[in-house]
Amino acid sequence: MAFPEQTPAADIGERLAVTDEPLGPKRPTGIPGRARSERIVRILAYIGLTLVALLFFVPFLWTVATSLKTLPETVGFDFLPDDPSLTAYREALTEFNFLRYTANSAGLAAAITLSDVALASLGGYAFARLRFPGREVLFVLVLATLMIPDQLRLVPVYQMLVRADLVGTYQGLFFIKMVAAVSLFLMRQYFLTIPRDLEEAAKLDNAGYFKTYWRVMLPLAGPALAAVTILTFQGIWNELFWPLIILQDPEKWTLPIGIAQFVSVYQTLWPQLMAASVIAILPIAVIYVFFQRYFVAGIAASGVKG
Amino acid sequence: MARERLGSQRLREALAGYAFVAVPMAVFLLFFIFPIAYAVYISFFDWGVLGQIRGVGLDNYRELLDDEIFHKAVKNTLVYTAGVVPAQMALGLLLAVIVNQKIRARTFFRSAFYFPSIASSAAITAIALYIMSSNGLLNAVLGAVGLPDDTSWFGQSDTALPSIMALNAWTTSGTMMLFYLASLQSIPEEVYEAAAIDGAGPWRTFWKITFPLLKPGHFFVAVVSVIGALKVFDQAFIVGGVGGEPNYSTMTAVLYLYNQAIGNVKFGYAAAVGIVLFVFIMAVTLVQRQLFGRTEAA
Repeated sequence: MAFPEQTPAADIGERLAVTDEPLGPKRPTGIPGRARSERIVRILAYIGLTLVALLFFVPFLWTVATSLKTLPETVGFDFLPDDPSLTAYREALTEFNFLRYTANSAGLAAAITLSDVALASLGGYAFARLRFPGREVLFVLVLATLMIPDQLRLVPVYQMLVRADLVGTYQGLFFIKMVAAVSLFLMRQYFLTIPRDLEEAAKLDNAGYFKTYWRVMLPLAGPALAAVTILTFQGIWNELFWPLIILQDPEKWTLPIGIAQFVSVYQTLWPQLMAASVIAILPIAVIYVFFQRYFVAGIAASGVKG
Repeated sequence: MARERLGSQRLREALAGYAFVAVPMAVFLLFFIFPIAYAVYISFFDWGVLGQIRGVGLDNYRELLDDEIFHKAVKNTLVYTAGVVPAQMALGLLLAVIVNQKIRARTFFRSAFYFPSIASSAAITAIALYIMSSNGLLNAVLGAVGLPDDTSWFGQSDTALPSIMALNAWTTSGTMMLFYLASLQSIPEEVYEAAAIDGAGPWRTFWKITFPLLKPGHFFVAVVSVIGALKVFDQAFIVGGVGGEPNYSTMTAVLYLYNQAIGNVKFGYAAAVGIVLFVFIMAVTLVQRQLFGRTEAA
């Protein structure tokens, strides 16, 4: 039994209602005065663009430059370091324990992402395709989950973790993060767009539901899986709130906690702090450069939160 | 025989469905839905790390009324929201309009503007602390153009909160830009064609046509922005520490909640803070819905 190789619709942006190419309104041609006014708009846009772009690029460039400097050098405002060195990185990673924080962040983000993708795709498939009593009610609960702020949950969830003796453990953080409603929602929406006839073949083949999910649906859901993977990883990697609350042992800290701690203790060791910041930002930046359209999928999903 | 098989197939399908959603539903019920009720319950108690100490009825809520630091935190959060939301919306709209033009490298700029939204908030805050420190780049630039250059932006109680506001308006403007872009795209071309035939210039077209037609977008962006602003924590925590330094000027509602729960282990009281905040967020959302009218956004 062979299933079609290609995905029914190639682009996740299309399916999650995010277009990759925003197009300005196309003006009709041949109307007098149009060319001139459009040129003015273009010029204004370029001026605005230049000013705004400076605002967005300078901080990051300045950060990288400082991370390659020595502390005395940061007193001046020469953009380029006289003698670029990786000393600040070495010190941040070793003396200030950022190697440990990086490893912790990576491990946590990887474990939670794996679990989230598996559980959200399986659950999303069930909500999209399988019929079972109470499905609609349960799905309303999923949507409700999206609207409950972390702040309201802080005390009760923390209390529950205390009771379960999970405060201070990775497990505690893992349990409350192992699957996110937004991931499940994204997966369900994507599965709904896959034509049903592809599963009919599997049905004739008498494949079980898990096998249909594994063999037919998952291979067709590549873009959604990529989006959920990236969004979850990025979310956990960047998160400060819950790790700060749960992981109280410095050996278990993640990068954002490490940075917060560094700020409060060493404040003005700028090269090391900037090196730590680059370490925290760089992996996400690299992923963003290669897979940026998937990041936008989260934006589409946040539409359900309003 | 056939019906029996159909029945068992139905059952099989339902069982598979339950099995596949079991773990996610357990997580959502246990860590999201149930905690709402649990938070309300806890808020009626004097509650320590080991559990309830004694029932206090509404005392935790009454105490909030007289708690000056809580008032300060609420005031800071409101000031923050009132400043950041319009700034985010204006900047987001400006960015959206810019990258919606037919300009070179539009996609590149759009990506660049969105980048601060997805980068680590802790790292971004550290960068802001550096650039806006008293000997930092911002002061150097201000000094170069003849403005006062000795402000310790995050270190003085009169500028610390506005600095966090500026930082977050900048960080999240890229997200608002994307919302506005989607909204800009939904305006039908014919509208612009009609405006062009009437000889309306770009400025007039924007204010008379584009801006009002973005109403669903405004609503959506405002809701997302207000909710986000009311929950501000990361930046305040990193800038001012648990104490909201200097002088409680960066103490926000969520930071206060964190302090009461984790720092002071006053869970009942912290739960009450969380509930007040939650009710407030819901109320603001509903009011905004009324003000902007029901729209197809959200």
